[in-house]
Amino acid sequence: MTTTLTKQSLLGRPIDRIDGRRKVAGAAPYPSDFDLPGQAHAALVSSTIANGRITRIDRSAAEAAPGVLLVLTRDNAPAVADPPMSNLGSTMRWYFRDDRILHYGQHIGIVVAGTRAQAQAAARLVEVEYAAEEPVLDLDDPRATIEENPYGLDSSRGDAAAALDAADVTVDSTYTIGAEINSPMGLFTTVASWQGGRLVVHDTTQFPSMVRASLAAMFGVPERDVRVLIPFLGGGFGAGLRLWSHTVLTTMAARELDRPVKLVLTRPQMFSSTGHRAASRQRMRLGATQDGRLVAIDHDAVAANGIGDMLPAPIEMGTPMAYACDNVATHERRAHLNIAFTGFMRAPGSVELHFALESALDELAGKLGIDPVELRLRNYAEVHPESGKPWSSKALRECLTVGADRFGWSGRDPSPRSTRDGDLLVGQGMAEASFDFYAQPCTVRLSVDRGGNALVRTGATDIGTGTYTITAQLTADLLGIEVDQVRVELGDTDLPPAPQSGGSGLAGALGAAVKDAAAALGERLARLDGRPGETIASLLDRHGLDELSATGHSDLPAAAATTDLAVAGPFAATFAEVGVDEELGVVRVRRLVSVIDGGRLYNEKTARSQIIGGTVMGIGAALLEEAAYDPHTGRVANGTFGDYLMAVNADVPDLDITFVGGPDAFNPVGTKGLGEIGIVAVAPAIANAVHHATGRRIRDLPITLDKLL
Amino acid sequence: MTRTGIEYLRAKDQDSAVALVAEDPDAAFLAGGTTELDLALKDRVVHPSRFVDIGRLPLRGVTRDGDRLRVAALTTMEELAADPTVRARLPLVREALLLGASTQLRNMATIGGNLLQRTRCRYFRDPDVAACNKREPGSGCAAIEGVARMHAILGAGPSCIALHASDLCVPLVALDAVVELLDADGPRRVPLTDFYLTPGDRPDVETVLRHGELLTHVEIPLLPAGTRSAYIKVRDRTSYEFGLTTAGAAVQVDDGTITMARVGLGGVGTVPWRSWEAERVLVGSPANERTFAAAAQAAIRDPFTVPGTEFKVELAKRTIVRILRTVTS
Ligand SMILES: Cc1cc2nc3c(=O)[nH]c(=O)nc-3n(C[C@H](O)[C@H](O)[C@H](O)COP(=O)(O)OP(=O)(O)OC[C@H]3O[C@@H](n4cnc5c(N)ncnc54)[C@H](O)[C@@H]3O)c2cc1C
Ligand code: SF4
Repeated sequence: MTTTLTKQSLLGRPIDRIDGRRKVAGAAPYPSDFDLPGQAHAALVSSTIANGRITRIDRSAAEAAPGVLLVLTRDNAPAVADPPMSNLGSTMRWYFRDDRILHYGQHIGIVVAGTRAQAQAAARLVEVEYAAEEPVLDLDDPRATIEENPYGLDSSRGDAAAALDAADVTVDSTYTIGAEINSPMGLFTTVASWQGGRLVVHDTTQFPSMVRASLAAMFGVPERDVRVLIPFLGGGFGAGLRLWSHTVLTTMAARELDRPVKLVLTRPQMFSSTGHRAASRQRMRLGATQDGRLVAIDHDAVAANGIGDMLPAPIEMGTPMAYACDNVATHERRAHLNIAFTGFMRAPGSVELHFALESALDELAGKLGIDPVELRLRNYAEVHPESGKPWSSKALRECLTVGADRFGWSGRDPSPRSTRDGDLLVGQGMAEASFDFYAQPCTVRLSVDRGGNALVRTGATDIGTGTYTITAQLTADLLGIEVDQVRVELGDTDLPPAPQSGGSGLAGALGAAVKDAAAALGERLARLDGRPGETIASLLDRHGLDELSATGHSDLPAAAATTDLAVAGPFAATFAEVGVDEELGVVRVRRLVSVIDGGRLYNEKTARSQIIGGTVMGIGAALLEEAAYDPHTGRVANGTFGDYLMAVNADVPDLDITFVGGPDAFNPVGTKGLGEIGIVAVAPAIANAVHHATGRRIRDLPITLDKLL
Repeated sequence: MTRTGIEYLRAKDQDSAVALVAEDPDAAFLAGGTTELDLALKDRVVHPSRFVDIGRLPLRGVTRDGDRLRVAALTTMEELAADPTVRARLPLVREALLLGASTQLRNMATIGGNLLQRTRCRYFRDPDVAACNKREPGSGCAAIEGVARMHAILGAGPSCIALHASDLCVPLVALDAVVELLDADGPRRVPLTDFYLTPGDRPDVETVLRHGELLTHVEIPLLPAGTRSAYIKVRDRTSYEFGLTTAGAAVQVDDGTITMARVGLGGVGTVPWRSWEAERVLVGSPANERTFAAAAQAAIRDPFTVPGTEFKVELAKRTIVRILRTVTS
């Protein structure tokens, strides 16, 4: 235990999660595990139409039902202010603002009773009358309100139209993706209690500081009087990055009753209450020379959005930086439909873009007769294609070459339908991905005590991915102590402010802040005249100090604005082999290799788990996942885990995952976020493999068996 | 309708189980609960006043009587699949069981409950959907104009297209299984092919079972030695999903000619589907692709489709061809 950094680095080691034992033992409290003394239970009343107005609500039967304490609808709900814009560029449209129904499953009331069963039974007794209109559910519906260039990200370099005209070879294809639901295991929960003027909320969120700011503004209390707690979170995949109305309704009910209120969403409610990946359609036009140099990319995208909503999940954002190509144009539109509000679902926009771009590149490779890996290498963006700046790190070339090697790509016969195994057609496909990340300023407080133990505190959350573990690991590494000497406190807005866990930005921002804190602490320790080799414990002891603390801060967005580097996110290449039973249309993934450039890894094990999780989700996106909207009512017709299909173990082959690349030159720790990159290239790799197997190009996800019959 | 409490009673013996359900028109038997508890407590689309738990009645186990297997109704799916006679003589039954649900469910789910499982139609299973003739006779059918991928094309009609989704029942109808029923009037035996009722204009009436009647046993004739049989389940997800189309077949082939054939179909019927039409084509015909295609054609006659189920016409035919090829190869 020394103050110097000479020990063998702990960083990157595949240590087990430090919270693993608590989780396995059921001792890690998730939001739904919290029960407060005197707590009442809530259930939601949801709309059964998707478009129209509420003409009458009759609460009386529900109010008279056994155990019922309160029924709140917009008729008797107190007014609240509109929530502020979050730094992710979204806000919540407060449903009770008017009598409009914007989507099926919209929350129109909350019933609170002594037990959950009583509340749920009474919720069914609230009588609602509507003036219903036909819902607008389709991207092509002429009644849909369309916003052009909603993000101001439409871009143009060179002259894509002219270059397409002049190109030797072109591809012009349209790709569609159905709506997908985030579907974390943990049902979203709010437990709200007002203590005097102070609000304490246990809430399922990936972004506690946003929930705090929103509730403070809506209920007119200072932020310091709102505390949001979320020590453990049962997954989110982005669902926890927005404020949702159930959180507000539960908080409101708790205030009206002056007693704690708990609400746990049902699984069907999760399909219309906590966001999703919007359905989208993209037209991708590529132009290339005979020898496979891209001369034009023209990308046109339209995605769905809720009515009156404005979620920024642009598809076009990554297009200009994907390849070295002089002429690139992007256009995006947003179609407002009577669907539940969308959200940020794992690699929002990037999953959509890469399915289209990487499928189109595969089509181009076929037309040119150039190997798909080789085609990508020929168009490799050595520097950032827009700014011309050198990347802070980019090992995408290694992703491609190492991946091809591990997969055995060179032995592949390029012609479709060339390989059989019994009844099966076998195909191999690949795709690459470049990912951007989204970081925000982060503050941590780091303390060391006389026992030589460290405490790190910050208001971030661990969504189950290992934030506790990597924070402890980095701290131990920087202080030269053991991991089990570090305690990490997260998930509490009374702790120093931290950004959302989402956008693949937390690990980098938090790590940079920890490093800053450790440096500050080091300086303070240095001022105590440490003797060579002296431990922190003895140093503090000698000076009669119980503990020593320092605050660390990072502001990656500010740093990014001034760096000479093109700040890179992670990169990936995925290679997939599928078997297709052509007679029955069934596709199964037989092998999958992913190679990832995630910069410097904190922990090889949690990093790998992130990629495994993303890959499994990518298999689901490729072959299974789609929310089916009833065409007349807009109700999600498959809103259960029995009906909405996600990949299960049997759908997932052994996954071969490798990390390449070195420390990132921009991030102080050298790391890049890994939460999302794992999913991005999976669906196009699988779709390309299906084409290689069958000769059929499926441009519509998911690739269910009927599309191959 | 809401009920805030459900009376729970545990039956002492078969007769009292029957009496406790018979005396209350809203009472229901509870076996493994994997269908019934979902419907009553989670989905809230059935509203029993009383559960009569039959789970501990001594109606469990498999006995062999010559060339017939007698399966007591409370035998679990896993237990039946593990039975040595089933392994040796009824491979299609074993495969159908093990391709169903998940291990956890199969350890709870009983054979009687499997035969009496309710449809998975999500319009039926959501009380916020008003139009469902099965739940509310005369209210209409929301699925017909809705999302209907997991629905039936045979035995279906404008009143209801709900699928009977059991895997097990597919081989059982093909094998001429018989169910034994008991109520206050005594026991009776009904061939499984006569047990289920297509919706017609009463989709709410699914079987000939009377209220309070207990299903006590299923009798399965064993296949003659030398019969080849198999079950196939086609679905998007590799496991833990109901079938889009399934088929079970048993055949005997003598010198290239099919001499005996049994064909059951799943994923397509409002009731577990016995395809006598396919069998008629097969028996006496050469075991070749032409015959299989003709059998498939005969089996999927006059389907009632909606946009979501159209693909099943072709898929079901291919499934039949595949299973016939498998059992004759
Ligand atoms: C997620 C999920 C996936 C599934 N996947 C499949 C699948 O792939 N394939 C498949 O075949 N099945 C599947 N099932 C259905 C499952 O097999 C049935 O739920 C189960 O067999 C029912 O048995 P049980 O003992 O739990 O019946 P219960 O739920 O107890 O009862 C079902 C019904 O039968 C009545 N009943 C039960 N026993 C008797 C009796 N002896 N006499 C009279 N009435 C009786 C009950 O009153 C009730 O109406 C799945 C179920 C679930 C929940
Ligand atoms: S198919 Fe049958 S069960 Fe489904 S909604 Fe229609 S009537 Fe109801």
